[in-house]
Amino acid sequence: MSAAASTIAGPSARAVAWRRREVRRAFTFYAFLSPWLLGFALLTAVPLAVALLMSLTNYDGFNLDRASFVGLDNYARALMDPDAHHALQRTVILMAIVVPIGVAVQLGLALLLDQRLRFSGLFRTIFYLPHIIPVVGAAWVWKLFTDPNGGLLNALIGVFRPDTYVRWLVEYPTAVLAVLVIWAAAGGGMVIFLAGLQGIPAEYREAAMIDGANPWQVTRFITLPLLSPVIFFQLVVGVIATLQILQQPILLTPGITGISPGTVPQRDNYVFVGHAYTAIFVNHNFGYGAALLWILFALVLALTLVLFRTSRRWVFYGVEQ
Amino acid sequence: MRRVLRRRAVGRYALVVSVAAIFSLPVAWLLITSLKKQSEYAASPFVLFPAIPQWVNYQLAITMADFPKYGTNSLVLSSAYTILVVITSALVGFGFARHRGPGRDRLFLFVIATMMLPGLVLFVPQFVMFARLDLTNSYWPWVLWGLSASPYHIFLFRQFFAGFPRELEDAAEVDGAGPLRVFLQIFVPNAGPAIAASAIFAFLWVWGDYLYPILLLSDQNTTLAVKLAKALVDPRGNPLQTITMAGTVLYVLPLVIVFFAAQRYIVRGVVTTGLKG
Repeated sequence: MSAAASTIAGPSARAVAWRRREVRRAFTFYAFLSPWLLGFALLTAVPLAVALLMSLTNYDGFNLDRASFVGLDNYARALMDPDAHHALQRTVILMAIVVPIGVAVQLGLALLLDQRLRFSGLFRTIFYLPHIIPVVGAAWVWKLFTDPNGGLLNALIGVFRPDTYVRWLVEYPTAVLAVLVIWAAAGGGMVIFLAGLQGIPAEYREAAMIDGANPWQVTRFITLPLLSPVIFFQLVVGVIATLQILQQPILLTPGITGISPGTVPQRDNYVFVGHAYTAIFVNHNFGYGAALLWILFALVLALTLVLFRTSRRWVFYGVEQ
Repeated sequence: MRRVLRRRAVGRYALVVSVAAIFSLPVAWLLITSLKKQSEYAASPFVLFPAIPQWVNYQLAITMADFPKYGTNSLVLSSAYTILVVITSALVGFGFARHRGPGRDRLFLFVIATMMLPGLVLFVPQFVMFARLDLTNSYWPWVLWGLSASPYHIFLFRQFFAGFPRELEDAAEVDGAGPLRVFLQIFVPNAGPAIAASAIFAFLWVWGDYLYPILLLSDQNTTLAVKLAKALVDPRGNPLQTITMAGTVLYVLPLVIVFFAAQRYIVRGVVTTGLKG
């Protein structure tokens, strides 16, 4: 090939050198990427194939020789499993509470701090701090705060309604979980919204003010539309994160001593990943659990796509920075 | 007009302060509880503040939760992962940002796509593989995760390195520096903020993670997160909430200190990647 080409085009030393340089460049590129390429092959691609195969078997996590292919039985089972239905329902309820309120809180905090305000750095730190607290610490914070015996929440309510004794984690577990998640995520989202607000040229808002718009109108008709890409981003991230929630429901299980690998979230906080986790690590039903996780992935993808579809109607990409 | 403005300012401060109180009250309650006597916890009538702050709770928590042992475990595991993942992700991010090769954009799409995968979808088969290779009950899984770089961190470094001016490399290449030297002597020394953000996120992730240690490690080599997920108990098995809270404060405190020291970098990192710490 190279001999034939050289008789036509003539052997150009420059072309050969150029080719050699291209090869060397590609080599350098792949050399820098090598940790990820290796990791992607061994710790992502292979496991994904294994997970897919696993979901088609009755593998119990220990005895490979006893595992056999069961076709799509695990997926069929998931469709019929009342616990899976329940778990999906609880997850959707949690998502419907946490995502809209959570994003509203993040946005509200950012708008609050975006004004002329003394000590705004201090307030930003206070709002951001819960985001730093690891999940085990956050679970203690809210377990303790809502504890019927030594908790502050009942005591505060008791000021108005004496002898309040609400066992929050038993009676309203999803509410406590939702508050924990919103509280923990608020700071991270706030910082992202603040960055978005700084990207809006001040002239836009000033012009509206000069035209006689009040602060609410400026927010509603200038700031929010310009922030809509950030709102959209936070909604997508929130949906993905909430559908996959697992550690918080486990750690919020009532009772103070009983957390172990076998701990299952209580009924109201029995989320979808919790069901998969129970199937795999408590009941050693790896095949079925893997099928549940693939179904979850499909749901995550589907919901993200739906969000992207609707975004065309309300996300405003007019200003390119 | 001025009166309206002043009223508005007062309202604004009242709002900010009350929201801040709501956000920090539960944390303050944890701190207060950590200083109570156990008999003051759940006492009737209700005890708001301890009569005498029980600093001894902290000493007791250190012994009872065996901080020297499990704190060291947490520190070793978090540091090992952090060092590895920062190095590998910086290399990969640099490759994506400053070098070209066939399939670059498609490969980067794969990096982004892996961020969308539910964690357990990857972890469950990895768990089976680690168990087959006899790597459970060791720190090897974290070492392997660190060595293979993380999509979030790759993304962070790529974004950061992409903003460097082209002339930097050109000048170095004219001087005859190879790509690795360009990376080490020009890009790394100027990547302080990205390295800080990446390191803090990596450290926070391992230090704060409860799930993987409880599934992969035994009671002997597990981390503080697992140790403190259960309440500390007295010899008869009664929970000691006050001492447990002292332990929790000690477990969270290092992160808060790091956060105050490096707030700027964290904020910048969050903004670049939209990544949770």
